[in-house]
Order: sequence, then structure tokens, then C-alpha cells
Amino acid sequence: MTQRTRRSTFTLIAFTGVLAVAACAPSSDNDTKGSGDGGDAKATTLTVWSWRVEDEAAYNKIFDAYEAKHEGITVEFKPFKATEYNKVLATGLAGSDGPDVPQVRSYGQVEPTIASKSLVPLDGKVDLSGWDENVVNSAKSKADGKLYSVPLARQTVQMFYNKGLFEKNGISEAPKTWADFTAAGDKLLAGGVTPIAVGAKDDWTLPIVHEVLAAPRFGGAAFQEEVLTGKKSFTDPNFVASIDVFKQLAKYFPKNVTGVAVTDAQTLFSAEKAAMFPGGSFDMAVLKKANPKIDLGVFEVPAPTGSPEDKATTPGWADGNFAVNAKSPNQEAALELVKWMSTKEFGQMVADEVKQISAVPGVTYNDPLLKQMADNYEKSPSPYLLLTDFRYGTPSGTDLMGKGAQQLLLGSKTAEQVAADIDTGVKAWFKPSS
Amino acid sequence: MKTRTGLAFLAPALILFGVFVLYPMLTAFSYAFFEWQGTSRQGFAGLSNFSALVNRAPFKTDLPTALLHNVLFFVGTMLVQNTIGLSVATLLHRRARTRRMLQTLYAMPYLVSPIVIGYLWTLLLSPTFGPVNQLLTKIGLEQFALPWLGDPKTALWVVILVSVWQWVGFPVLLYGAALGGVPEELTEAARVDGASHGQVFRKITFPLLIPAIGTVSVLTFIFAMEAFALPFAFGGSTGNPAGSTDFVSLLFYRSAFDSGAVDAIGTSSALATVLFLIIFGGAMAATKVLRRHERRMAS
Repeated sequence: MTQRTRRSTFTLIAFTGVLAVAACAPSSDNDTKGSGDGGDAKATTLTVWSWRVEDEAAYNKIFDAYEAKHEGITVEFKPFKATEYNKVLATGLAGSDGPDVPQVRSYGQVEPTIASKSLVPLDGKVDLSGWDENVVNSAKSKADGKLYSVPLARQTVQMFYNKGLFEKNGISEAPKTWADFTAAGDKLLAGGVTPIAVGAKDDWTLPIVHEVLAAPRFGGAAFQEEVLTGKKSFTDPNFVASIDVFKQLAKYFPKNVTGVAVTDAQTLFSAEKAAMFPGGSFDMAVLKKANPKIDLGVFEVPAPTGSPEDKATTPGWADGNFAVNAKSPNQEAALELVKWMSTKEFGQMVADEVKQISAVPGVTYNDPLLKQMADNYEKSPSPYLLLTDFRYGTPSGTDLMGKGAQQLLLGSKTAEQVAADIDTGVKAWFKPSS
Repeated sequence: MKTRTGLAFLAPALILFGVFVLYPMLTAFSYAFFEWQGTSRQGFAGLSNFSALVNRAPFKTDLPTALLHNVLFFVGTMLVQNTIGLSVATLLHRRARTRRMLQTLYAMPYLVSPIVIGYLWTLLLSPTFGPVNQLLTKIGLEQFALPWLGDPKTALWVVILVSVWQWVGFPVLLYGAALGGVPEELTEAARVDGASHGQVFRKITFPLLIPAIGTVSVLTFIFAMEAFALPFAFGGSTGNPAGSTDFVSLLFYRSAFDSGAVDAIGTSSALATVLFLIIFGGAMAATKVLRRHERRMAS
């Protein structure tokens, strides 16, 4: 009996020991895999992490082209679920199992990663001269002004519209003036069609809707400059008036708009129950797929009456940037790859394979709609201000605008109050530069 | 020898508990006392991360509302879920035939992920395509065809009621078991003495159920304070619309994982610590009251 007890005690202790060892094992295991070929200069495997699971095939094609030209380099593309990517990447970069080339967030959202000293500064190593300034800013740190990544894509926001429904309701072309725009809304309303499909239940869409409908009303790029230097604040009358545009156009939105999810809004549009959808270039694929029969068009919403400058704009920003992990054992090869990502060759492949507007200037587009969005941005760009400059702390400008616009649409706050909330909210962390 | 054998048997569980529960908890606790630059830890911060929860936006404005929603969630769940649960359990207790089947049926939604439940109910309640409002309109109740999830006045209660709908099987099971433990001699004796059904329930069954009610209350409190999945499925991480379904764990989620603040780890760890203390303190206090009551009943 005692012997048996002793034996089982021993077995137990041994088992516990195995458990403890097993708990430590995975990381060391991955270590050897990660830097497996590091010693041999001829054969290097670069790992690229991304949150774009849907683009895996496209990236494999792109990196095959890179491998063909760079002997001994294998690029391994590893996508993770978008909603978990931030956590996965933070853990990967903090430990030793991170990727050589991580896809990183842009503007303020990459700042914590940069502050962790996880990324290699790329100044003097990558040449982004001639690129759009707003795009380059997505890759820079506001804290030290250095460049930390190469932007992948430009996202633009604009109005999508159903050309067939427009014609059916006696609107022959995309509106050119604010009066045209509201007249079109009235005609569609009279025809029993919801003019603008907005999904205000999802607060994150509202800052985008605000940019699409009213960027010229607050002054776009000019206002960006003034608010960043502290000459103006969000309580500026023009900014307040831009928020009020929501109220003016609310009659064109679906009924009970704060209960309508963005997927519902897209369904309204693709079921041809709504004629316009304010959205991003990233929505194009979804809209086309949902109802391929719709003759889809895009236009820049004309400047609302009273705008500082009577000129329509296409607001945009950059995202999907690629960087070099400071702990990568293959830094030189990783840098080479990231440098290639700033070339027109790579940009063209992004346009053709990933079907996004490349961040690289001078790329051409086969898709006419994509081309129109890219051209519009080229011609009359403006920053998606609350994203490009006001996501560097909590609460973010976009969160504040989302919540505020909902309150405005619900009637619980006025445009002045919403603007004041945004102003006090961002002042929790934002300091003007002058 | 005996204690050593005992320890050896405890060791696997203790080690697992230590590595996967205690250690992460203590580190998270320690994170709250440091300054952070992204994921790299800086100097000791004292209580500044905690004072940020009271003094700095968004915590200054969002934390009190979120906490209030947690409390409303607890009160609403206590009132509705436990009342319904107790009534159903009492009715089922008297019924021999289909009790098992009905218990299983009541517990069914509980087997589905809250994320899926939230998504399904969002579709059902959608003001544009949702069948709930279409049905209400068809039967002449247009005035009740509201934008349920789009109005701050109703959204929180929708979250609470759907949660009740999902979890009501849980108190049914617990109360069912507790009712089975009430000695029949007592109820029979009372009945012989001429007590009515209601009197038997009020004077005998209910007092004997108090320990079970206490347990359910403590579990409901913990559940309500850490509510995350269902509110997330309904209103996203920002508590749409206009923050009306915001909860403390959502505030934690967005300040920890969705923010561009470089000190996010510090403030969000402080928030997690505060939430833990609220839950731990509340549960401890409730258990203490419960124990005292049990002791009084025993004597």
C-alpha cells in the first residue's frame, strides 16, 4: 500500500514536471522555427504578418514575383483575424516570435507600437519623396517625426450612387451643386426611394458620413492646418455648421436611422431601395458583389451652402502600412522587401491583385470606378481629419464624432454641443503644435 | 507523509492555477502602477493611472455611465430573470411528467454563444428589415414598432431582456435543485395544519430557498459586472447608440486595444483592477451577509 502510494506520488510529481516544461516549451520551439534559416546568407525566409485574411492569395502572387527576382529569399505571408491582429502583433513584437515585416496600423494607431521601440526607423533608407503628404504622415511618428513604415493603400470616401435609380427618378447626372444635391434628394423621396442609406447605429460610420457630406463645409485641408496649429478649434462656426449638415440631410436618411446598422444600409442600397451610399473605396467590392446588376457610380458631394471654399473634395487616408521589426534577425533582407514595397512595380500589383488604391503615386487602374476614386483624390484631396490627426489618444476624434452625431440625430444634443464635446474630448491629449 | 501526498495531488491544479490565473492576475495588477510607452514599461507611476480614471476624459465621463449600466443590468437581471426563474422552477417542481424536457428547453439558449444571440436579435429587431416590427405593424400595434436598438431609452433594456431570455434556464436549474432539497415533511405538515399553497410557499419554501437565492444573486452580480459578449454583439465596443449600451468591460476593451494612447496599458490595467475590486468586494460582502443569514437559520 505504502509502496503504491509512493509510486503514484512519484508519477504525479513527474507529470507535473512535464506540464511545467510543456508550459515553457512553445516559445523556444517557435524560436528555432522563426530564425531557422537565419545563419545561411543564401537562404532567408522572411515572414510577413497581416490582418487581411481575404487577400492571402493576392499577396502570395505578389511575393512570388519578389522571390523570382531575389534569389534565396522566401517570403511567407501569414494573415490573422483582423479583430485579433492588434493583440497578436503586440505580443509577437514584444517577444522574439514576431514577423520580420509586420503590417502595422496607420497614424495614431501605430504610435503605441512605435513607442514600444518595436519598429526600425526608415529615414534615409526608404525614399517617399513625391508621395502625398497625408499618406506619408500615416507612416510617421508624431512623437519624434521619424518614418517607420511604408504606406500600402489610400482609402478614399465618397458617395456611391445607383445610376439606374437616379434616371428613373428624373435625375440625369450626378449633382454638381448643393442645390442639385438636395433637389435630387427631394425627387428620390417623392419617388418613394430612400435617398441616402446611412447606418447610424454603427457609430464608426458617422465620421465617414460627415466627411462625405460636409468636408468642404469645415474647410478640409485648410482647417486641418489651422486646427493643428491651434489657430482654430472644433468649436469653430464652420465646423459646427458641418456637423449641422447631418441635421439638414436627416430627412433623406432611412427612418429611425440610429437603429439602422451599416449592413442594413448596404442592403437597402443593394436592394435598390436607397439610391446613394456614403462609403469608402473599401466598400466598393462589397457593393458590387451584393448586386452586380446595379450600374454603380461615384461622385464627390458638392460643397454645402456657406462653405469657406465652394469646391467639392475627396477625403482620404492611408492604411495597411508595412514596417520592419526591430528584433528581426533578417533586418537587411526585411528592409530590402519594404523598400520594394515603395516601388511602382509593387504599387501596380497592389492595384491589380489586391484591388485597392495604391499609396504609390502614378499607378494606373483597370477598374473604372477605382480609377475615378483615385483620380478624384489626386485632383481634390482632403484629409479624413478626425482619423489622420485625432486618433493619437483616447478619446479619439472619430469616437467622439460617432457618438456626437448619434446624439444629434436623436435630438439629444445640438451641433454646438457636439462640437464642444469633440473639442473638450480631444483636448484630453491633443496639444496644438504652435 | 499524509500532507505531502495531499500536496502532490494538489500540485498539478495549483501549478496550473498559479501559471494561468494567479500570475497573469498579479502582473495585470502590477501593470497599473507603472508608466507605459506602448508595450515597454517605464518608471513607477504610483496611483496616477488610477487618478486618470477619475480626472481624465474619456474615463471621467464614460466610467460613471458605464458603471451605472452595469448596475442597471444587475438590478434588471435580478428582478426579471430571478423572478421568472423562481416561478418557472416552482411550477416545474409540481409537475412530474415533462419537467426534465422543459428544464432542458429553458436552458437551450444558454448553449448558444452570446455573440450569435446578439447578432440574431439585432436582425430580428432591425427597424428596416426586422420581423419583430413587421409583425407588430401587421397586428395593429404600430405604436410599439420602435427602433428598439436605435433609441437609448430602449436599447439597454433590450440588452437586459435578451440576456434574461438567454440565461433564464440557469436559475430554473438551480432553484429546481434547491426545491428538490426542501424536506417534504415540512410542507406536508403545514398542509395538514391547513396552510394554503401561497402560505406554504411564503412561510416554508421561500425561507429555505434563501441560500440558493443568495448564491444566484452573487453569481448574477459577477455576471452583470463583467458583462461583455452580449453588449458587444449588440452595440459594438462603443455601446451604440450614443453610449447607451456602454459597460465597464467595453470601456476597458476600447481603451486597451482600440486606442492610439501610448499609455493605454497603464490606464486600462488600472480600470481592470478597479473592476476586479468592485466584483470581488461586492461578492465578498454578499457572501458574508448570506453566511450570517444561514447561521441564523441553523440556530
